[in-house]
Amino acid sequence: MTHQIYSVMGCARCHITKRFMKENGMDYEEYDIEADGKDAFAKFYRVHRAEIYRDKDGVEFPVYTDGSVIRQGVSVVIGHLVAGNGLDGFIGRSTLHGEWIDGFNISGGDPSRAGDLLKVMAYLKQNGLKILLTTDGRNPEVLKAVHDENLGDRIVMEVKGPAELYEALAGESIDPNALETSIRLAARFPDYQFYSIVAPMIPKDGTVRYLTPEEIGETAKTIEKAAGSKKHPYELRPFDPDSAVDDRLKSAEPLPANAFFKYRTSARRYMVMTQIAK
Amino acid sequence: MGIPTIYPTGTTLFDPGKCWSGYTLFIARETGCALVDMNGNVVHLWKGLHGFPTKLLPGGQVMGSLGVRSPKYGFMDYMDVVQVDWDGNVVWKFDQYEYIEDPGQEGMWMARQHHDYQREGSPVGYYAPGLTPLVEGGNTLILGHKDVRDPRISDKPLLDDVIYEVNWEGDIIWEWVCSEHFDEMDFSEAARNALCRNPTMVVGKGEVGDWMHMNSISTLGPNRWYDQGDERFHPDNIIWDGRQSDIIAVTDKESGRIVWQIGPDYDGNQAVRELGWIIGQHHAHMIPRGLPGEGNILVFDNGGFSGYGSPNPGAPTGHNNALRDYSRIVEFNPITLKVIWQYSYEEAGFLPKMNNSDFYSPLISSVQRLANGNTLITEGSSGRIFEVTEAFEIVWEYVSPYYGINKNANFVYRAYRVPYDWVPQLERPDEKEIPKLDRSRFRVPGSVWKPEEGVVEVEGTLPYPGPQLCVSKVDEPKDG
Repeated sequence: MTHQIYSVMGCARCHITKRFMKENGMDYEEYDIEADGKDAFAKFYRVHRAEIYRDKDGVEFPVYTDGSVIRQGVSVVIGHLVAGNGLDGFIGRSTLHGEWIDGFNISGGDPSRAGDLLKVMAYLKQNGLKILLTTDGRNPEVLKAVHDENLGDRIVMEVKGPAELYEALAGESIDPNALETSIRLAARFPDYQFYSIVAPMIPKDGTVRYLTPEEIGETAKTIEKAAGSKKHPYELRPFDPDSAVDDRLKSAEPLPANAFFKYRTSARRYMVMTQIAK
Repeated sequence: MGIPTIYPTGTTLFDPGKCWSGYTLFIARETGCALVDMNGNVVHLWKGLHGFPTKLLPGGQVMGSLGVRSPKYGFMDYMDVVQVDWDGNVVWKFDQYEYIEDPGQEGMWMARQHHDYQREGSPVGYYAPGLTPLVEGGNTLILGHKDVRDPRISDKPLLDDVIYEVNWEGDIIWEWVCSEHFDEMDFSEAARNALCRNPTMVVGKGEVGDWMHMNSISTLGPNRWYDQGDERFHPDNIIWDGRQSDIIAVTDKESGRIVWQIGPDYDGNQAVRELGWIIGQHHAHMIPRGLPGEGNILVFDNGGFSGYGSPNPGAPTGHNNALRDYSRIVEFNPITLKVIWQYSYEEAGFLPKMNNSDFYSPLISSVQRLANGNTLITEGSSGRIFEVTEAFEIVWEYVSPYYGINKNANFVYRAYRVPYDWVPQLERPDEKEIPKLDRSRFRVPGSVWKPEEGVVEVEGTLPYPGPQLCVSKVDEPKDG
């Protein structure tokens, strides 16, 4: 298996990736796309255009391939080198540039692979990156390990609703203790924020309906109870139908902007700093 | 304005036959909310009540605030909006806009209200026939503050203005954040430059940019423009003004968009040039239906210093680049921008450029159209409240005796005239004319007047001509 890296001169994240490979005895072929690797990358890109992600700023580097898979971005590439597909769900695409890196979803992966996740995060931290995490409350034991190792610089936690509504909201239930533990841990990070999406859901009777202001109030109350204070940053966000997993929710009528004030009022009884996201 | 060391306070002039009589309500500095009759008697005082401003409701209830956030941590943040009955009992209160924790103080909810609010039923908060504020219910529009960051405006933290509506139960049901509409406001490149560098920094939560400094909000109420099909003037829409930007605008209540605006520049077309620069203005509102001039915009155009734009000798950085040393009251048509009525130095009988600043309040101040066509003017920075007829005759004048001790100034932010029958607790007072005194004969004890003594004739003297001023003989021609 030959490791190939397409990199850009001056790209710090490319350097971190190459340094990791060298330190771990992985030989690789490097193609600098702004030097003599330009034609090679052009050819590679033409063949794999559909598999290579690019946003408004262009293609994210480094781009890695071993001939069978293509990975992009320092965290995804190192994650692959450490654990193959084992960290899928934990590590995704980073949208941040500069010193900050995101794409780490604590609740999205297999908790038995937490050791590999910590290894990747530790390496990025050692190389000067600040890590932004997300969670929805699942895998509190992984979150605890990340916290105890001081690997997360900021966490944004989605509290989907009161624990008993998680299944209706996300199609998957959550252990109330796990949710409370994650909330408590999140509030201990150097920088953190809680948020809830005022979302439609499908209760057991199958009728699509939005969370009510009272249920958002209960969500805020859950945060207060777990984190031990009414004064945590808490944001209410609108629902994006395009993000819905269940097709029945994609056609849900958006709530008017003014409807959010009642939700905020209800939430502020327990989280006094509640804001409505713009 | 040059003010002598000693001058009378209280009512100084009153012509009962020409006034629209009633009680006048204002904040007596560092004392409370005073209700005075036409002869200046304080007929009721809500002691200790704050208000920015205070407003009377029918039945002898008053709206105001219980207190102000410490100026060490907040800039003009009033803690709440309250409704207080005749006996001083708080019958309604709203403070649930933001939870504030200032150093050394218990955390508390605050309204962060400043400068204005309106109770449903009355578009502008003063008397107009058939447009009466609700007393035992109704929503309240509140002008408040919000801390924001917005790199489109400046890299500095901003003290933004927000208008929000609360119902009688205290739920916020509508909100409009000023900075979110920055791109609709037509600031020039020069203005954006000056604004970015100095968004009018004040001491609040640290140093913050009070970039707009809104000081007036009111609804348009029923009006002929909307009746004629102009949707911009929907009765629920809100007219507001920004002292620091020189903008007067109407916000569409439903969409939040700015649908009518004058300023920040007043040289864009002939209509606005003829209206003239409005600088540092206060209390811009639409005259409510049922009053003379209904549908026109009435504003206290302070002059003074405000605006953002190109540097000039008086504003080397372009901050506060609009400067003028006199005030004017302007009533104008919002469609044509034609001036309908104006009261300024000329109408007051002062000379241009020489003593035009004898009618001048660079800050605060207000204006109210009365039912008989008179206009009540609060020349706020000198504590003077007066009623003037359409023909510019002053028929009532009052100077606040509540000087206060914390600032060397006799400020009255805003005064309102209310009908006698809004205060059923009191018998209608006797009105006693106070004729206009001859200033040349008015003396304080110990000062004498003996003009015939010690007079000698000088041979060969000529009669005195009119004044010759050290300035241009005529004002600059209007730009056509």
